[in-house]
Amino acid sequence: MIAFVVRRLLLVGVVAWGAATLAFFLLYLSGDPVDLLLPLDASPEARAELRRAYGFDDPLYVQYGRYLWKLAHGDFGVSLRSQEPALGLVLGRMPATLKLAGAGLLFALILGIPAGVLAALKKGTFAELLVMTLALLGQSIPVYFLGLVLIMVFGLKLHWLPISGYGTIRHLILPTITVGTFVTASIARLTRNGVLQELRSDYVRTARAKGLSERVVVYKHALRNAAIPVVTIVGLQLGTLLSGAVITETIFAWPGMGRFVLLAVEQGDFPVVQASVIVFALLLALVNLAVDLAYLWLDPRVRYA
Amino acid sequence: MQKRWWVLFAVAFLSLAWARGDTLVIAQGVDATTLDPVNHQETPTGNVTANIFDNFYRRLPDGSYEPWLGEAKALDNLTWELKIKPGIKFHNGEELTAEVLKFNFDRLLDPKKPLKYSTYFKPIKKVEVTGKYTLKVYTEKPFPLFLTRLTYLWVVPKKYIEEKGADYFANHPVGTGPYKFVKWVKDQEIVLEANEDYWAGKPKVKRVVFRPIPEASSRVAELLTGGVDIITNLSPEAVPTVEGSGVAEVRSVPSIRNIFIVLDVKGEGPLHDPKVRLALNYAVDKEAIVKHVLGGFGVPVGCPLNPYMFGYDEALCEPFPYDPEKAKKLLAEAGYPNGFTFSMSAPSGRYLNDRQVAEAVVGQLKKVGVKVDLRIKEWSTYVKQILNRKLDTDAWMIGWGNAQFDADNTLFTLLYGGTVEGGPPQTKFSYWKDPEFDKYVLEAQQIVDQEKRKELYKKALERVRQGAPWIFLYQQKDIYGVAKRVKWQPRPDELLWAFDMELVK
Repeated sequence: MIAFVVRRLLLVGVVAWGAATLAFFLLYLSGDPVDLLLPLDASPEARAELRRAYGFDDPLYVQYGRYLWKLAHGDFGVSLRSQEPALGLVLGRMPATLKLAGAGLLFALILGIPAGVLAALKKGTFAELLVMTLALLGQSIPVYFLGLVLIMVFGLKLHWLPISGYGTIRHLILPTITVGTFVTASIARLTRNGVLQELRSDYVRTARAKGLSERVVVYKHALRNAAIPVVTIVGLQLGTLLSGAVITETIFAWPGMGRFVLLAVEQGDFPVVQASVIVFALLLALVNLAVDLAYLWLDPRVRYA
Repeated sequence: MQKRWWVLFAVAFLSLAWARGDTLVIAQGVDATTLDPVNHQETPTGNVTANIFDNFYRRLPDGSYEPWLGEAKALDNLTWELKIKPGIKFHNGEELTAEVLKFNFDRLLDPKKPLKYSTYFKPIKKVEVTGKYTLKVYTEKPFPLFLTRLTYLWVVPKKYIEEKGADYFANHPVGTGPYKFVKWVKDQEIVLEANEDYWAGKPKVKRVVFRPIPEASSRVAELLTGGVDIITNLSPEAVPTVEGSGVAEVRSVPSIRNIFIVLDVKGEGPLHDPKVRLALNYAVDKEAIVKHVLGGFGVPVGCPLNPYMFGYDEALCEPFPYDPEKAKKLLAEAGYPNGFTFSMSAPSGRYLNDRQVAEAVVGQLKKVGVKVDLRIKEWSTYVKQILNRKLDTDAWMIGWGNAQFDADNTLFTLLYGGTVEGGPPQTKFSYWKDPEFDKYVLEAQQIVDQEKRKELYKKALERVRQGAPWIFLYQQKDIYGVAKRVKWQPRPDELLWAFDMELVK
């Protein structure tokens, strides 16, 4: 078990290296960023000076070596725009993103699991039709569109909630719904399928035959087994949540990483883009590890050697 | 008990309403990148710092400039004398003296740590303090743009920076300006508070908050619900919504940015012939484009400059009239009675409805038999192709915002062809070679007498008018959404200077 975790953590290191390398070469394929950093009419000398200052005039392998060497020492470089350490800038935006992703996930679990169970238990009724229709809608509506509709209805027409900004619980509501709807729908559909399948299995028949109440059968036995695919999807959906956060943060002026990275890409701020790619990759790798460990607890049959 | 709660509630509500009443909230697309006023290149950053700092010369809404923190006078072609107004203090109490101003120049001219504005002051050789409030500036060659460049000299405190360091200063700025820095929560808000002791008078708005809201439609929604008072870059499509809201209105101003199409006139193709280029100018209906594609937010113009620029000439900048018959005649004279085909690049999403404007031009040229193969480019790729002169088309559409307000930054930078013996080579944006034009713009760089410079630019504009190296289109307008309670008119230089603003009932 401990060997497994250690091995996996080493793999996380490999993932970080891969992400760093990918980020480096993809960005450098797009050319050095000096052209975008200076105004169009900047003199060729000013461009050459800046290029020298950032070392963009060295051969690529030298730049790559220097980049890895610095990374290994925890130096992610300095933002080309604000001259501040890139890692600090990215990490400074992380709490807001985690808060949004966490709230979105919580929203999805609280709404999605009961909805899925309801649909499974009421199979063939109007309730199931309703849940499944809403779930289909929730999975197909673009995040961008949903965000704007929510702003129109709850901000502009009803004046119930703030449209943009950060700070209070009220600011959190609309972005949470926007970012969490897709995941809610996925979880609801998956839970329904899982519960339906488990309800047909032998152990449920046994449990019912033992005379256990339907509540215990459904919630203690069926749901727990149906939870395995749900946990998997939650792990996978964290990626969706984080990428959804890029759009959601932009619409609601949420001060998180997603919006920050988007701007850095547009402005050609290489160190910031690289730092955030690595941070995102690490985050996802760690979440996947956590999901794998959660299986252990959920399913005693799973063993990691 | 009940009653007490109500009173408390009422007081809380009133204080809230009052707080909002005295605060002006401005929403821009992005956050500031730094609060060092001379180390950035972005308008949104400059809008924040302009409220905290003062520049040595101040830009007026008509594009001209005037002395602000002090005055400068040319002693000869290479020497300037600067006099500072006595008694001006920074927010921390430090006084503005010649020593402080010299520190500002030295900081900009330090070759080891170049700042983003350093390039504006390159010709300066040496700065010398001659009295408590006077100093002399020596330049390497005549520097006719010195006064206009002084509008970029946002003055920073010496002692404060030396004590706290440049990094701390960039996050906790102290200036002499109308507003004091309160706090900066990254990507959320920058809060400023009126400097009651401001040397130029007491600001009318007590508190100013800058909020970054990246999404254009979210900015509009905030304006309509009263969350913010001024929003930038309103799209023409949102104009009716704002106008119909009752709480806010649309205010616009012709900007310093001209939109035009550069023609690659070298080689032997049809675009090499000035007659063809004139024909293209007559074949494009600028009025119709402004009216139908830009919703009226543009002003047709027939030269590279606009009325804010020093060197602009009304007669020579008259838009070419829309005359497709004349265009056809000119094309026939040039040997292309059945038209010809050329290729053109244009950006998408960079300027107001840029792609649609390019498409409209293509449609209009087709009516005189000229076919255009239009290629829309992604901005960063486009910039690289332009800077490296690696465009794969015969023409390219671009905008040019001349923030120097002087013809030099447009005429020399964009059109100088490098034909003068011993002079600089052709600039990277120029595809035209006109020896007479080159002579005039180069001469205008060598003298400080502004009347003579104006004459030279007039002659240069005559050459441009005859040579028609571009298809001249229009001057773009900047569009703002503004809450009705704000008394303020937008400025051509895009500056959001709260000292100009007032909140009314």
